[in-house]
Formats: sequence, structure tokens, C-alpha cells
Amino acid sequence: MSRYLQKLVHSLRFRTKITLGVTLMLVFCGLSIGLILSTMSSKALLEEGRKRGLALTSGLAFRLTEPLLAMDFLQMKNLIDNVHDQYDDVLYIFLTDTRTNILSHTFSGGFPVDLLRINPDSRQPQPLLLTTERGLVYDFNARIVLGEKTLGVVRLGLSRSDMDAQIHQQRIISLLSTLGVVSLGVMLALWFARTVTLRLNRLRESAEEIVKGNLDVQAGSSLEKNCWEIMACDKRGCPAFHDARRRCWYLAGTLCPNCQGKEYPLKIESCRQCPVFRYNFGDELQDLAEAFDVMAVTIKNHIEELTEREGTIARQQGLLKTIMNVTPDFITLQDKELTYRFASKAFCDYFHLDEEAVVGRTDFDIFSERQADLNFHEDKQILLTGQPLAKEITFKRPEGQKWFHIVKVPVHDRDGSIMGLLLSARDISMLKKFQEQLIQSQKMEDLGRLAGGVAHEINTPLGIILGYTQLLMDDITDDELLENLKIVEKQAKVCRKIVADLLGFSRHSPSARAAVDINDSLRDVIQLVEHAFFLHRIRIVYQPGETISPLIGDRERLKQVWLNLLNNAADAIGQDGVISVRTRQASHGRIEVSVADTGGGVAADHLPKIFDPFFTTKPVGQGTGLGLSVSFGIIKEHGGTISVLSPPPAQYLPENLAPSGHAGPGTVFIVELPPGGRAEQ
Amino acid sequence: MPHRSFFLGLFLLLLLLASCKGGEEAVPVSLDKRQEITARPQLPAITYAYLPQYSHTESFQRHQGLVEYLAEETGLPIRQVFPDTFAHHISMFGQGKIDISFSNPFVYVKLASRFGAKAMARIVEEDGRAEFRGQIIARRDNEAIRSVEDCRGKSWVAVDPSSAGGYLFPLGHFVDHGLTLRDFKEVVFAGGRQENVVLGVYAGLHDLGTIREGSLQVVANKIDIDQIKVVATSRSYPGWVYAYSPRLPQEAADKIRDAMLKLDYGHNPRHRAIFDAARFIGFVPSDDRDFDPIRELNTKVGLELE
Repeated sequence: MSRYLQKLVHSLRFRTKITLGVTLMLVFCGLSIGLILSTMSSKALLEEGRKRGLALTSGLAFRLTEPLLAMDFLQMKNLIDNVHDQYDDVLYIFLTDTRTNILSHTFSGGFPVDLLRINPDSRQPQPLLLTTERGLVYDFNARIVLGEKTLGVVRLGLSRSDMDAQIHQQRIISLLSTLGVVSLGVMLALWFARTVTLRLNRLRESAEEIVKGNLDVQAGSSLEKNCWEIMACDKRGCPAFHDARRRCWYLAGTLCPNCQGKEYPLKIESCRQCPVFRYNFGDELQDLAEAFDVMAVTIKNHIEELTEREGTIARQQGLLKTIMNVTPDFITLQDKELTYRFASKAFCDYFHLDEEAVVGRTDFDIFSERQADLNFHEDKQILLTGQPLAKEITFKRPEGQKWFHIVKVPVHDRDGSIMGLLLSARDISMLKKFQEQLIQSQKMEDLGRLAGGVAHEINTPLGIILGYTQLLMDDITDDELLENLKIVEKQAKVCRKIVADLLGFSRHSPSARAAVDINDSLRDVIQLVEHAFFLHRIRIVYQPGETISPLIGDRERLKQVWLNLLNNAADAIGQDGVISVRTRQASHGRIEVSVADTGGGVAADHLPKIFDPFFTTKPVGQGTGLGLSVSFGIIKEHGGTISVLSPPPAQYLPENLAPSGHAGPGTVFIVELPPGGRAEQ
Repeated sequence: MPHRSFFLGLFLLLLLLASCKGGEEAVPVSLDKRQEITARPQLPAITYAYLPQYSHTESFQRHQGLVEYLAEETGLPIRQVFPDTFAHHISMFGQGKIDISFSNPFVYVKLASRFGAKAMARIVEEDGRAEFRGQIIARRDNEAIRSVEDCRGKSWVAVDPSSAGGYLFPLGHFVDHGLTLRDFKEVVFAGGRQENVVLGVYAGLHDLGTIREGSLQVVANKIDIDQIKVVATSRSYPGWVYAYSPRLPQEAADKIRDAMLKLDYGHNPRHRAIFDAARFIGFVPSDDRDFDPIRELNTKVGLELE
């Protein structure tokens, strides 16, 4: 029950509580005081009545002395009747002498003898309350005394009904007055509760607004006069100047001389003496509301600062995250127990792991036990010695040889102790490849120079051999000998072609520069070989690009390149295939020519060597291995590049390529030529 | 917390209890149960009366002690009675309702003359004399009355036509100075009360008043008697006298006289208290001849005794 009551009280609104409490208090106090006052006044009325009765009786006793002494019965009767007739509530009066002889009385039709047996002694407390047929009656006994001699006794009966009526009336008035006062008190309590709760509600609404996130609240009331108006201040630099929402005594850095340069709450003591404080300071609720407003504004400022900082941090975090996600390097951070605290996206992707699967775990959870054990000892060594570690490791992967450059650095915290380990690993496979290509290029350069030198030296004697052979042929008539000389001539020409190719490879041959339309040169070559290829059921799909700008170059040599590439493609296909030739204007005005085939493709091992002179996968006698190296030299001479991809990306193959039983992975050669066909520097 | 609730509850209960009225016990009495009652007749007794020159209560208080003493001393039942006026006193004596009369000598000579009253003792006044005088008084600020002669044509209030000190003696004094009753503007009587005469003069209702000597002190606690001046004082005459009715047996009268004469003011404290209440200090034997000067005076002023 009490819990239910407690819950009920708790669930009531504060205003209701105040009103209810004050009402209960007023009702209780009002009723109590009303009852007390009513009782007191009732007692006073009764006492007054008793005193009146005593006074009447005593006065009568005094006045009866003379007639009693004179035994003047008429005067006795007159006196008694006079009092009896004068007051309606005097029911009876009678006079007795010392021998209880009834000398006079107001009764008619006999004397009620019962009265003689009660209240005989006036020394008893007077009056005596009687209950009679006429209601309650106070019986008063007063002796008629002269000196020390008692002459007789006067008895007077005073009805209490008048007194009771008066008491009743007084109680009604008292009750009505109490109810009136209580009602007035309740109205005042309602007004008071409303005044208090109005401000509390404003505070609550402000608090709710703050909870909702709206910090732009004002719980305190507006001031009639602000500090700058009271002080006639014009210090625009003061934070309180024209700030009507916050009270100046809460603000720091106010310029008022009364503030003495102190901040709240240190300055509040001096502020109490300030006319601004004395004018504007309110009660505790106003103080609370104003402090609340200051708090809201302060929180708002802090939140704005925090939001700004959060934004900055988020931007920096995003930036860092982006960097970490984008960087191809593996970056991990491990704590002293070698548990991963961070792993970059590249690291996770490489090992096909989620970041959640890495963070909070150790190498033993991620890698093989052997690898993890290796890493553990290495990492522990770094954590113990504090010496960073840098190393390169290599291993084979299905996609080829992989090289990584690994750096492990101990991470120090502020006190200098090692708190973890930072690993940075970079895939340097490409670098290694480039290094190898550089070596290859150097080799090709050296080889070209050697071949050029040798060819140049051989070319003269070879020309002499061919010249003399042709002279001999003109002179010799012997058919057999002539036939032999023709073989010599033919082989000499073969040698001259090889020498010419070697010279072309080593750019020792002269070239003719002119504007070349790539599409046209390609079309010429395709028309030349199309028929022959068709015999091997090799179809050429030519997709010339539009708006291909002409370039300056050696038309014939470029045609030689196209021919080499087409022949190479046809050789790779052998029978039944498609060669896709495309041209397009690439970025920066460069022209891209791609020749893709559906042939057997090039083994990955061979790709780096494919442009080497004399490198061939063809059977002995079917190729010199100089076609691609010569093409390489020509394109290089035009300032372009030639590269090979096997298998070719899909975009280089013709669409709707019919499946063929002999179709291999294929190869694509991509030639990129600079605009204008600048000569190789 | 429970303790606090308990005390709060107790406080509230006490407050409510305090506000409740305490009941009064009422005695049941029937006013309707009646019967006719008559007073029991008084026992026969010797009646003693003091000439009512003062109120009954004053008379009672002065003489109750003496009456009780006489009854006790003589073994006779003696009861004081209270006539309303001098005339009533005289008539009651005549009717036999008064056996022993204590009166002024003027009334005594009337009683003796009319009803055969016999003097048995005179009192000794507080000044030690068995005689007394009358006084003529006026307001001190009444410049018109400086001597007895000035009283001519003035309003005179006297105690009673039967008063000795308050009427007869001053009248004799006026006659000696050539003034008769006709020389006054008016002569009114104060119903036998000495106090009424003084109060009448004090209030300015009358120019002059006549009282027996010593009466001013009786009202000293009621008015400022300094505002009253004594214009003249009469010669001394025999004082107040106890007389007995011829109906009273001589033996009883003797016992009473003996008891009176036995009272000793100087040596017996009880007797002294009786005398103090009665405002005199002793008794001297007396007989009718002591009052001849009164009879002479009466003759002189021309008043009737019968």
C-alpha cells in the first residue's frame, strides 16, 4: 500500500505535489487551528457564560442583603423577579436562609425539591452543571455574607442552550473561516506552484532540448537591464557586452573593474557587491536557470570545438586510412606480445585475410607454424635489442618470382621503452624485373653495337664476295659451276640480308622520313598477306581507329614491322585463327597499334627474351630470330615502344570471336608511337 | 525514518486531541418534580433594633457582635431586627416588635413618651463622653455660608425629623441664633441616613446639612471630606441610649443591662472588638431623667413628642 502510495506520489507532477502538499498542510493546520480556536472560543464562551452567571448571582446576593436583613419579602421577590424577567436564559432563582428555608423563588406551581439536595455548598466549584427537562442548566450558588456571618444563599439556574447555540454559531463561523482561509491558501499555493513550476518547466524543457541536441536554449528570464546599461559601459571587447543570455558574473575575462580580473567562481564575492549583481540577482531558481544557460552555452561551445576537432581527426583518420588502404606496401603494427594492432589493406589482401581476422591475433594464428616461429624469433630479437631490421626476401608464386623488401622497426613510446613493432614490406618484384630488363637492354645495346660492328665489317667483304661471284657468273658458262655460283650468290645475299637486318637492328642503316598514315600502311601490309594467310584459314580482323593523325616516320620500315608482327602472328596460329589488328589514338596524342592473335601464346619465361636477336622458338631453319628484334629496333628508332602480353587482355581480341579447337591463349603485340614520330634521342 | 513518521503521527494525534473539548459531568435534576414549601417560623427571641441612621448592613455589622455577646452572656435568645426608618423604628417599638431599642435621645424621649420605654444604659462615645453634638456642614468652597446666620434662606438637608444630632441639636442651635424653620429656603430629610446628608451637601444639591458629630469620618472613604467644612457645632446633649420595652420582663432587662455594663473596653480584647465594631467604648447606667435636657430642647424648638 505504502509502495503504491509512494509510486503514486512519485508519478505526480511537481506542481500537483506542491499544491497537494500545501493543500493538505493547510487543511490539516486549518482544521487543527480551527478546532483548537473553536474549542478555545467555546471554552471562553462557556467561561464567559459561567462568569456572567456568577456575576448575576453574586450581584443578586449583594442586593438581597438588605431585604434579607429587613426580612423584606417584597423587595426580595422584586429583586429576584427583576433578574429572572430581565434575562431569558435565567431559568430560576431562589433564596434560602441559613436554615434552608426558601424565602423567595421564581417557580410557579410548587418548588422543584431536587434543587435543594444538590449544590448545597458554595465553596464547591461553581457552577454545577445540571441536566434537566429543559436541557443543560448551570446552577450557581452564592452565599449572602455580611462580615463573617452567612445570612442566606442565592441559587440561580442559567440555561446552557443559549451558550450552546452561540458556540454552534461560532463553530460554523470558525469552520467557514477556516475553509475560506484554506481555499485562499490553496489558490495561493496554486499560484505559488505555478510560479515555481513555470520556471522549473522551462528548465526541464531546456534540458529536454539539450538532450535532443538543441543547445540554443534559454531557461533564465530576460533581464530588464543588462550590465552595460547599468554600468553605462562601452567596452565592446568585454565578453559580457551585449550578451543578454549570460550573466556577467559567470563569464571569464570580463573587463569590469569590479571583477578584478578574476574568473567565476573566484570573482563572485566581489560581484555580490556590484550594482549589476544586486540589480539582476534573483532567487535560487533564477540562479539555477542562469547557471543552466551558461552551462548550455559552454557545452555548446565545447561541443562545437569538439565537433571541429572530431572533423579534423576524422579527416586525418580518413586520410590515413586512405593512405593505408591505397599504399601497396604492407604495413602492420604489433604490440610487445606481437599481437597485431593494425594491418594495412595491402597486407590483408595479399594474404586473403580480413582486417578483423588479423587485428588481435599473432603470426601463429595467421601463418604456418614454421613461418610464424621464424617471425617470432626475429621479432623478439628486434624487441629485445631495439635494432631495426631490413631485408629482402624472394619466393616463387604461381604468377612468378616475388621479391619483398622488409623493414621492421621497434616502436618507442614516450618514455622511450619499446611498445611494439612496425613492419613495412614492399613488393619490389617489379623493381627487380626492371632491373633485369635494364640488364637485358644493356645486353641488347651491347649486342646491337657488336652486331652492327661485325655486320659493318662483314658487309664490305660480303659485298666483294657477292660482286665477284656475280662477275664470275657472268664469265662462267659451265652450267654446273654457274649453278654453284648461284648458290654462293644466293647464300651471300642471305648473308647480306642478315647483315642488313643486323644493321637495321643496330640502326646503322639509313632511313627515309615522311608523313605516314598508319592505317594506310597497315592496310597495305594486310592486303599483301591476307591471301596467303587465308590459305591457312587465318582471318585478319582489321579495326582501324578513326582520326588517327599521321606521324613522321619511315613508311617502309614501319611496314616491315607490321609484316613481321603479322607473320609472327600467323606463325603462332599456324592454322585456323584470327588476327586482330587495331589502331587507336591513345593518350597524349600517341598512336597505339595492337596485333593480337589466337595462337599458342608465349610462355612467361620467354616473354622477357622475345625481342632478343636470334631468339626464336621456331624450328631451326624456319626463322633467324631477328624479326622481332628488328621490329623492336625500328619502333625504338621512331621513339615508340613495343611490348608483348600473353595471353592478351580481352579488349585486344575481336568481339564475337568464334571458338576454335586450335585457339590458344594468344599473344598481343602493342606498339605505341609518339605523335609526329620523333626520332629516338 | 520510521521513528520520524511515528513522532510526526504522535504530534498530529496530540494536536487533534488538544483540539477536542473535555466533557463536563452533568447532574440529573428534575425541575418538574415540585411541591409546595413553606418557611419554618422563626423561634421566639428578644428583638434588638438599632435606630436606622445607617444602612441595614452597617447596622448589622456594628451590632451583630454585641447582640451575640448579650445572647451568650444572658442565655437569652436575642435577634437583631432592622426597621427601615426612624418612624418605622418607633412604630415597631410601639407594635412590640422591638424589645430593646438603641436610639438617639430624641427618639428615646418619643418612645418613652408614647410607649413607656425605659432607659437602661447610655453609651460612652469614642471620645470618652456619654454625650454628643450636632454639626452644621457646608461645602468648603461655599463662600456664602461662613456662620450660622449665613444659613438664612438656604437649602437645609437634615437626617430625619427624629434625628437628634442630625436635626434636633442643630435646630436648637439655629433657634439659639435666631433662625427658625421658616428662615430656610427649604428643609429636606435624607431618610435617616447620615451619609446621605454629607453626600447631598458634597454634591451641591443643598447649601448646608446637619449631622451628628463623627459622621464625616463614616464617609471619609467615599468622598474627599476636606471639601466639607463644619460651619458650627451645637452644645453637647446626652448620648445614645438603650431602652427596653415595658413588655420585656424586668429580669431579662436587668440581665441585659448587667451584661452591657460588664463589657470592659480597656482590658478584654473580645469586648474591645465588640466595642470597635459598634463604634463606642463603653456603657454607663442611665435612667429617664438623664434625658430631660432633650425634652427641654424639644419644647424650645417647638417639636411634638407625641
